[in-house]
Amino acid sequence: MRIKDSSNVLQKQRNRKSRSLLVFHEFENLPYLMLEQENKKVDEHEAGSVALPKVDRFGFVKQEANSPDGLTRSRSAFEYEREERKIRKWRKMIGVGGSDWKLYLRRKPHVVKRRIRKGIPDCLRGLVWQLISGSRDLLLMNPGVYEQLVIYETSASELDIIRDISRTFPSHVFFQQRHGPGQRSLYNVLKAYSVFDREVGYVQGMGFVAGLLLLYMSEEDAFWLLVALLKGAVHAPMEGLYLVGLPLVQQYLFQFDQLVKDHLPRLGEHFVQEMINPSMYASQWFITVFSYSLPFHLALRIWDVFLYEDVKIVFKVGLALLKYCHDDLVKLPFEKLIHALRHFPEDAMNPDTLLPMAYAIKVSKRLEELKDEYEKQHGKVSDSRIKQKLQQLNDADAALLQSEGKQICE
Amino acid sequence: MASSGNKNINSKLVLLGDSGAGKSSLVLRFVKGQFIEFQESTIGAAFFSQTVAVNDTTVKFEIWDTAGQERYHSLAPMYYRGAAAAVIVYDITNQESFERAKNWVRELQAQGNSNTVMALAGNKADLIDARKVPEEATQTYAQENGLFFMETSAKTATNVNELFYEIAKRLPRLQPAPNPSGMVLVDNQSPSERAASASCCS
Repeated sequence: MRIKDSSNVLQKQRNRKSRSLLVFHEFENLPYLMLEQENKKVDEHEAGSVALPKVDRFGFVKQEANSPDGLTRSRSAFEYEREERKIRKWRKMIGVGGSDWKLYLRRKPHVVKRRIRKGIPDCLRGLVWQLISGSRDLLLMNPGVYEQLVIYETSASELDIIRDISRTFPSHVFFQQRHGPGQRSLYNVLKAYSVFDREVGYVQGMGFVAGLLLLYMSEEDAFWLLVALLKGAVHAPMEGLYLVGLPLVQQYLFQFDQLVKDHLPRLGEHFVQEMINPSMYASQWFITVFSYSLPFHLALRIWDVFLYEDVKIVFKVGLALLKYCHDDLVKLPFEKLIHALRHFPEDAMNPDTLLPMAYAIKVSKRLEELKDEYEKQHGKVSDSRIKQKLQQLNDADAALLQSEGKQICE
Repeated sequence: MASSGNKNINSKLVLLGDSGAGKSSLVLRFVKGQFIEFQESTIGAAFFSQTVAVNDTTVKFEIWDTAGQERYHSLAPMYYRGAAAAVIVYDITNQESFERAKNWVRELQAQGNSNTVMALAGNKADLIDARKVPEEATQTYAQENGLFFMETSAKTATNVNELFYEIAKRLPRLQPAPNPSGMVLVDNQSPSERAASASCCS
């Protein structure tokens, strides 16, 4: 089987799902299809002139034969058994196609939180992401909207999007093929969003977010998840990251700068001396929620938590990365420091090491204080207009969803 | 800014220009000698360094490669402020990217730092059949604005090392003293290049 073909298979699977209710069984094979490619022998007939790339279990082309990605090592029988148990628990929690989810969430939010922090099983990830982000509800409440946006509307950002399509996850098999299914769905999602919210339009960085989602769900589902995030279906709206002037990026960087000084004073002082500010290394963390900067297996684990717990996890992981490398970083001069802040060591990329460190860092209260402080200096990153837009979606329904979503998660 | 030292100097250099013009590709070619057809879009900014030897001086460029999309404009001043050199990149097959380049030139000129060496790079020069921005008119524009101008191709490596070398030569630190402040003096190069760079920015 050629990789191209398996991409098509994935896409067909996705297309089939996109209009109907999701049944989680359909999700199960996705990552494993990718895994299988590694072992498949090239069929001489089909190989032709195309050299088959070696990919990791997520479908990224490997740079070197022995590049470790933290997850390619074969699993022991014990680990396999443990993973199976975990999946069974998750299935019970979700119910068929997510039918039991809301009930479970209301009854045992702490169990959900704990399990999400341990990582959502890869085969259920796409479905669970849609449940916890509130995007399933948006999808169900707005039938036909996505199709309308994709087919009938034109966007001022079309050329900008096209220019970036082949530059988004260029090392992933799904997005590599010129005008292939991956690039087409990425284009559709981004174009639909740029029409849906013409004020945001298309901003570089959104492609990595949409691309990550598209590896786990259909394009219509990915679109609504993007809407849920940017318009704030459950958490604070993210669209300020992409509006003119990048107001939310500026606020987050201000907050992060202070948090570094609070939590890691020695490093904070070193940054000041070397004239390093967070914009130089952390803006992409926020703009793409780590989907651009970190290895995919780690980015996924962060996304699990991000969708459930909000942007706080980005601050926590950022601080954990600095903390993990603290003793090295404080010794480095400017240039090496900048390099180190863009290339964290392999052992820091292990989610089971880094994430517990991140969870242990408390930021909520201080983030609120710093937000107030920032707003005093720079004015509010207004969200009234955002709420208005969400309401236009489905008037009372959307507003209800938003408050309900907030209650659920609080 | 360029820091002092007889044989080794450090210079901050920033790349500006429209998205997809080839800023990252130019840097990658210059720093690593590589070219990637589908270079990942730059989000935020990226940092690189590379050294160039000019006579008996080694210039180490500390290079900030910025995101090109207009929406990222608000992050740019941090990178061009205090830069010893700025390379403004456009795509010779894209007229709009040239207009964006002119905007960058205006913005930098408005900063009033006449010591910054400004270079204009018309990239993708290998795509000669798709050319939209004529070379001669750009040369005139560059002369009028005191820019050093070259057409480059990150893909074929044409003029890439040359571009950075010529910038290094024009750094005020490398100019023979006395060098009145606010003036950028140049040594004798080919007449067209000298004309392009021998001026005092306003």
